[in-house]
Amino acid sequence: MEKQTPANSLDRIEGLLGARARSRRVIVSPEGVPLRVEIADIGERLAAFVLDMFFWLGASILFYLVAAFLLLRGSTGGVAVTLCLFLAFLLRNAYFAHFELAWQGSTPGKRICGLKAIDREGGPLTPAAVVARNLTREVEVFVPLGLMLSLSGGAAVWETLSLLAWVLVISCLPLFNRDRLRAGDIIAGTMVIALPRHALASELARTDQDYRFTHAQLQAYGSFELQVLEELLRRPDSSETRRTLDDVASKICRRIGWADPVPHSQARRFLEAFYTAERDELERGQLFGRYRPHKNSPEASRAGAS
Amino acid sequence: MIGDNHALGDKLPAAGRNVTARRAGREDFALGETARGLAENRPGTRPVLVLRSAEFRKGREPGWRELDALLSRAEKRGVASLSTVELERLPLLYRGALSSLSVARSIALDRNLLRYLENLALRGYLTVYGPQTGILASLAEFLRRGFPAAVRNARWHVVVATLAILVGVGAGYMLVAGDEDWFSSLVPAGVTGGRGPSSTAAELRQDEIFAPWPGFTRSFVVFANSLFRHNATIGILTFGLGLAFGVPTLLLLVYQGLVFGAFLALHERHGLILDFMGWVSIHGVTEFLAIILCGAGGLLVAEKIVFPGRISRLQNLAKNGRGAATMAAGAVLLFFVAGLIEGGFRQMVDTTMGRFAFAAVTGLGWFAYFLSGHGKTNASE
Repeated sequence: MEKQTPANSLDRIEGLLGARARSRRVIVSPEGVPLRVEIADIGERLAAFVLDMFFWLGASILFYLVAAFLLLRGSTGGVAVTLCLFLAFLLRNAYFAHFELAWQGSTPGKRICGLKAIDREGGPLTPAAVVARNLTREVEVFVPLGLMLSLSGGAAVWETLSLLAWVLVISCLPLFNRDRLRAGDIIAGTMVIALPRHALASELARTDQDYRFTHAQLQAYGSFELQVLEELLRRPDSSETRRTLDDVASKICRRIGWADPVPHSQARRFLEAFYTAERDELERGQLFGRYRPHKNSPEASRAGAS
Repeated sequence: MIGDNHALGDKLPAAGRNVTARRAGREDFALGETARGLAENRPGTRPVLVLRSAEFRKGREPGWRELDALLSRAEKRGVASLSTVELERLPLLYRGALSSLSVARSIALDRNLLRYLENLALRGYLTVYGPQTGILASLAEFLRRGFPAAVRNARWHVVVATLAILVGVGAGYMLVAGDEDWFSSLVPAGVTGGRGPSSTAAELRQDEIFAPWPGFTRSFVVFANSLFRHNATIGILTFGLGLAFGVPTLLLLVYQGLVFGAFLALHERHGLILDFMGWVSIHGVTEFLAIILCGAGGLLVAEKIVFPGRISRLQNLAKNGRGAATMAAGAVLLFFVAGLIEGGFRQMVDTTMGRFAFAAVTGLGWFAYFLSGHGKTNASE
């Protein structure tokens, strides 16, 4: 069984609160600090790819328009067309590589979707890795598709089918591994992560206490419950939130044997006080290695006994 | 709202040890831990809780906010948008955030704080350790060191790929030399360009080997470009199919050799073999080199999949895949050069001896290039 740590208790809370659960990996920064990264979903990556394709096609069409312009004006139409074909080829190959280098692993599509390509081992993202993961995309998608479009006639059915199978197998590759790696990621040693922004909210703990809780009362819960309470208290104020807080306050009162009824208007204040006291209790326990993951954990009694 | 609560709180009965509806004053707060200890020991006095994690946060928060602002700007407008002073601050603030994260993980249970710090440290890591070079600087480094070094590292794969092509050439030559009908089965119609068993020596000489130069634009722009795109596609395919255990890579290499061997046999029958070799070699040296490098890249990938050795396949690929892809990217560049030579220079140099001389120069040039780049700049390209 997995060891209970503060880190995977965060996971459990996200599961409980119905937050978007991406799978996680740990990379170790060059300073030796483990950092958890969230692996990008297939859907996000597809969306980013489609966006990038859209931008690339837009730029190519711009080139073609320039070509048409030159065709109408100049005498050397064939040259313009060839130049455009060549530029489109270069553009496609340079687009991903350029942006991933300039924007630290993001392309415009990835940036819109909040994704980044990073080194799987936690090292720096090298230009060679960027080139490797993007050159492989040619083989994964563009070359087979281009060949498929260029094939024609009944004799080519088998060729078309085998190319189609290749494209399907290769593009399904991310579905079959836990890190959602496509062939290019495997070769380049990279992976694509989602990087949502987390803002720092204000401190919830109140230094002034309107309520006092005994040591025994604070033994009722563990850090899991504490962090769920934190999540509730951080919700924006609304009648629904107030109702929930009311419910939670009365549940806590029942569990810890709180004698005086807490009036509705006082629910938030009571919960904030309880949150502060409970967090203080649990954090002090944790300083000495008594980590209590949740209310039913066996450590609870040991922590209580000490 | 707060005021209401407060008024109500004041009205609550002060009896019982549970309830102390009093606000702590500022002076209590300043006392910190001492005040807390007092409050615990003597029920009835104003309790003040000062959490270690809250104090910790108060001390470090300005640093986090500063880092956050710098990172937001660097993410939006690039690291170059930071001033020199800010650039010097960034790594320090980043390491500060990392140490804050380590501390917070062990002393704080504030989920919001933990998530924020984790996110901040990760963003800092990505910015501080992100690629520092632009595409042009990377390209220069690649040409100077990366490409030759990758080729040198994979020399045995280069040898195997070369052997595969030679096997193809031998087989193609012998098949077509024995029976000319093999030519049409081996060489696809698109490549023959009207050449075949029925071609006469005069046709081959006039339309192919010593065809008149079609002019600058047609040869350098139109023809060279279409050759490049065709060849680069084949090369990339040869490399990428290394993922399929390298079997298609080897087959493609042998097949390229087969086609060449078939052409050799065709021209041999008409006594044009030397002229044909000259005609081919002027660009063929570069082109075959490019195909060999693509093949070697594919074989390197395949080797690491089939024989992972002591570390896992994924790690192995990550370690060697970059070198292989570097080689393939360099090969695409070689295809470009070959396309230029084939489209333009080939018909400009119109004697067989001249062509052989040109081929020898390119061959030696590439050889010197791949031996270069151990440390210092090289411009033999």
